[in-house]
Amino acid sequence: MSYYLRKLAFYLVALWAALTLDFFILRLLPGNPVDVLLAKLAQRGGAPDPSVRRAYELLLGTHSDEPLWSQYVSYLDRLRHGDLGVSVSVFPAKVSDVIAQALPWTLVLVGIATLLSFVLGVGLGVIVGWKRGTWLDALVPGTTVLAAVPYFWLALLLAALLAGALGWFPLLGGYDVALDPGWNADFIGSAVYHGTLPALTIVVSSVGGWLLGMRNMMVSTGSEDYVLTAQAKGLRDGRVMLRYAARNAVLPSVAGFAISLGFVVSGSIVTEQVFAYPGIGSKLLQAVQNNDYALMQGIFLIITVAVLGANLVIDLLYGLIDARTRARA
Amino acid sequence: MSVQSSRRRVCGAVLTAVAATTLVTGCGSSESGSAADRTLVSYTGQSGDYQINFNPFSSSTMEGPGTIFEPLFFYNITQDAKPVPLLGTDFAWNADGTRLLVTLRPNVKFSDGTPFTAQDVAFTLDMVAKNKTINTTGYDGEAVATDDTHVRITFPKPAFMQGPQVLGKTFIVPRHLWSKIPDPANDVIAQPVGTGPFVLEEFKPQAFTFKANPGYWGGEPAVKRIRYLALAGNQSGADALAGKQIDWQTGPVPDIKDVAKNYPGYQAITIPMNQMNLTACSNAALGCAGPQTDPAVRKAIHYAINRTQLNSLAFEDTASDISPGFTLLGRDAKYVSPKLQEKLAPKAPDLARSAGLLLGAGYAKGPDGLFAKDGKPLELTVQVPSGWTDYITAITTMTQQLQPAGIKLLAQQVSYNEWADARVRGRFQLLIDAMNQGPSADPFYDYNYYFSTETTAKVGESAYPNYSRYSNPEVDAALNAVKGIDSTEAAKRQPYFDVVQTRVEQDMPYIPILTGGTTSEYHSDKFTGWPAKDNLYAFPAVWSRPDQAQIYKTLKPVGR
Repeated sequence: MSYYLRKLAFYLVALWAALTLDFFILRLLPGNPVDVLLAKLAQRGGAPDPSVRRAYELLLGTHSDEPLWSQYVSYLDRLRHGDLGVSVSVFPAKVSDVIAQALPWTLVLVGIATLLSFVLGVGLGVIVGWKRGTWLDALVPGTTVLAAVPYFWLALLLAALLAGALGWFPLLGGYDVALDPGWNADFIGSAVYHGTLPALTIVVSSVGGWLLGMRNMMVSTGSEDYVLTAQAKGLRDGRVMLRYAARNAVLPSVAGFAISLGFVVSGSIVTEQVFAYPGIGSKLLQAVQNNDYALMQGIFLIITVAVLGANLVIDLLYGLIDARTRARA
Repeated sequence: MSVQSSRRRVCGAVLTAVAATTLVTGCGSSESGSAADRTLVSYTGQSGDYQINFNPFSSSTMEGPGTIFEPLFFYNITQDAKPVPLLGTDFAWNADGTRLLVTLRPNVKFSDGTPFTAQDVAFTLDMVAKNKTINTTGYDGEAVATDDTHVRITFPKPAFMQGPQVLGKTFIVPRHLWSKIPDPANDVIAQPVGTGPFVLEEFKPQAFTFKANPGYWGGEPAVKRIRYLALAGNQSGADALAGKQIDWQTGPVPDIKDVAKNYPGYQAITIPMNQMNLTACSNAALGCAGPQTDPAVRKAIHYAINRTQLNSLAFEDTASDISPGFTLLGRDAKYVSPKLQEKLAPKAPDLARSAGLLLGAGYAKGPDGLFAKDGKPLELTVQVPSGWTDYITAITTMTQQLQPAGIKLLAQQVSYNEWADARVRGRFQLLIDAMNQGPSADPFYDYNYYFSTETTAKVGESAYPNYSRYSNPEVDAALNAVKGIDSTEAAKRQPYFDVVQTRVEQDMPYIPILTGGTTSEYHSDKFTGWPAKDNLYAFPAVWSRPDQAQIYKTLKPVGR
């Protein structure tokens, strides 16, 4: 039991440290939201009346001389009540509403892409590792090259080719704006259609890593005695590959997959920029460009909780599966 | 304003290259037939999703001022004309500018059917006065509805110059709905009800649509629908124009002169509106440091700039002349002081004059060709937001132009937020910037915003918007005197304007560059009645409110 308590305590400390860093690092950014807002208004021909500045300072509460320390305490207190504050860049919308609007898009797109990439990479890795020395070995350098090409460049090339030249997919956006967002076939079809190309780019660029890891594990499990025994018993080759070798070889990949699920929430800023996808990554960019501390904190909080949560689950599961991880050295 | 809104983020610029080669389809083009013909698609520069907000007092409102919520009068900032009556029909000041009587239009109804009366006007003004967070005009009057169609507003001190803000920029809201809103600054007004020519039809995060108000007091507009499109992050307005996805946008496109050729069916119009300048942190008494605190240095730069070359290299020849007194040429030409030494900033450089000014200020030319004083070479840093390509080109050009004059400019590209912060706190030597106009066609506002001691602060504190920290008691006295004169009495105001302009020319806290133009592109094959140079009935920028509503009301679909 004390093992689980120790783990939980550690994760609580890690969460507090992350929240504290979120708060202080953001405040080291140059500028403040009022000036960014005014500069934006000026770009749109707004009269630079000093009264405008006074009103916005009052509105956004940035005129206060409250010391950083007491701001920090009230920040933690508000978080305890689940209050993420009000977004400055889309004032007066609540941060939780902004995140709620963007998060499903990212979860579905990056989640499905990560799952596809994992299944595809591991599946191919099993075959390549089992049939080593054949032409299939060429898949390893082939997919690694795709992973090594800078992601934005690969995404732009695919966009230019598949969406531009061939016109198979829409170039931008999350859905056709003429449709009503909701649970109806037209909209979901459109969302899937718009999401396919971004998902494809993520899969293409990340499948190589899974493939390489799985193939290497397959090679080493392939030379284990129990595999040799299974083959000596005269089992079918496919059965030995899947039930004997792959089952053992996949363990590290599963752990890696669980951790990468934690990062699904943080999305892919570059993907969302390239395809103008309405997810968390584009909101984070918007927050940074507007010195929107509350929104940045909210997004970082969600990411932190997701990553810590995924790690905690893995940790606890490992404790359950493998007694060795519980034992004190 | 065009010069600034042209600048995309650097990452966007790379991505646009792909978008441009692959003309985008989709995105709201699914309509066809006559409904689409009468739908005008506007692009206000929104990138990424809209977050609903139709509150006319909110800084982040998406749309509504002018189209849904109307002011009492429309002030055309492009020319000195009589205000156009909207909800008001007439107004009169008393002699000392402390009382304003407004007559309202009878038989106007809000879009929910409730009649509009003087009570709504008094309520709106009171609400603005009471809620400091929405009082962006400094309104401090007291409004009383004397009967259903008359409002009397009293001010504690002469308020002639507040007139355009109160009458032209305060958007009247219905009392019966807004009196129930506890905090008007924080409400997004998801279902806006106003008197304007349009009403909200539907809202979606990637686009929202207004439809014509059939009960509008001025008659139902001929434009039946307006759709506001949010373009995706890296897609530029120019791509959307090429794909005929949008009918109106403001912001320059490549090769501005050939818009009609490059985008068949479209026209462009450029209106000079912003005095571009090198803002100097000029006032050593308020904490500025560096060679630019010496007026001789600022003037030496002024005379060394080759403005003709600058215009063609950095601004595609869309910029125009500027006056050293910073009166907006064209619109306010009649206010340009005859007492100025030069009515226009010289177009060609005068290096001899520049050198003479520096020698007179104790500088001497060193062996490297740079002027120096007390062993320190004359070097100045100019801050510019990274990615603002036309300003960056302008600084590069000026750096080369100033080299033979023995002055070294160092361009410093910083993030936009850093630049805005440095500007407000005075932590810069020079920065490139442009002035914005006030609420009506009157040079007073710019003089008061940018040259008055009231609007500045010490270095380290927030100055808005007199970033140069300029402070001159003569200018302050002249501006104060103008506040007590009715703006229609031009002859009485001119002597004070002369003082402001000549002092500013002499001290030159802002080094004039050129007047920047705001360029808009519009679909002239689909709608007629757009503002033209000879009929500038409103400022033709899609984001300028309430100008956009005047234009929507005037437009007619072609062939109907």
